[in-house]
Amino acid sequence: MTDIHVAHTERGIGVVTPVGRLTMVVTRQLTEAITGLVDGGTSKVVVDLGETTFLDSSGLGALIAGLKRCRQAGGDLRLARPTEQVTTVLSLTNLDRVLRPRASVAEAF
Amino acid sequence: MGDVHSVHLVLEAVPEQVDTLQDEIAQLWESVPSVSTTDRVRFEMALVEIFANIVEHSVRHHPGPPLRQVAIQLDVSPGLVEARFADDGRPVGLDLSDVTMPPPDAEDGRGLALTIAAVDALAYEREGDINRWTVTCRRNG
Repeated sequence: MTDIHVAHTERGIGVVTPVGRLTMVVTRQLTEAITGLVDGGTSKVVVDLGETTFLDSSGLGALIAGLKRCRQAGGDLRLARPTEQVTTVLSLTNLDRVLRPRASVAEAF
Repeated sequence: MGDVHSVHLVLEAVPEQVDTLQDEIAQLWESVPSVSTTDRVRFEMALVEIFANIVEHSVRHHPGPPLRQVAIQLDVSPGLVEARFADDGRPVGLDLSDVTMPPPDAEDGRGLALTIAAVDALAYEREGDINRWTVTCRRNG
């Protein structure tokens, strides 16, 4: 149902793109995608949420875990292209200031 | 009851059934297109969190048989969107008035706080061997 794509930009930034719903069903896949990038030496990661139709609290937890992992490796995790539902969840959980979403993947770093 | 649109679901209490729940909610909105986007978003968020909470806390750590069922009644009336969950998992040992949003670096514990922030009312009661959750949104549009 939900696919998680992983890619790199020309500047070596990791891009994780969840396509579909980001809920407890796929949280582990998201964590593995981010962990895989960091373990492979990519600690600057953008999670492109432009095709994420729904984000729940377990998905948020995986993003926070990913953020910590990236920062521990000297990088950062940033969000791009949030949909309306994602923006609402970030606002209701006060995470919009921690995970400040950018308008595009290119603007994230 | 003429203006109430109702859906009754019985789902296995396993994570994968979140998708089924969300598919059913999407179908519900097709049947009652007058519900505003804002109300749809907050109602769906609450339902996903409550279902996940039941799977995580009432069922996964329950000493009984692993497969349990969750009954969910969804009602859309001109003024309200409401969901009633019933499951026979273990009792939920918390007072909803004590629920607070965890700090930003927490990796879990946001589900109920997010639900309370999203909807107009969230209620829980233990009735015999049954957990009953009620989610209520007053319609804005």
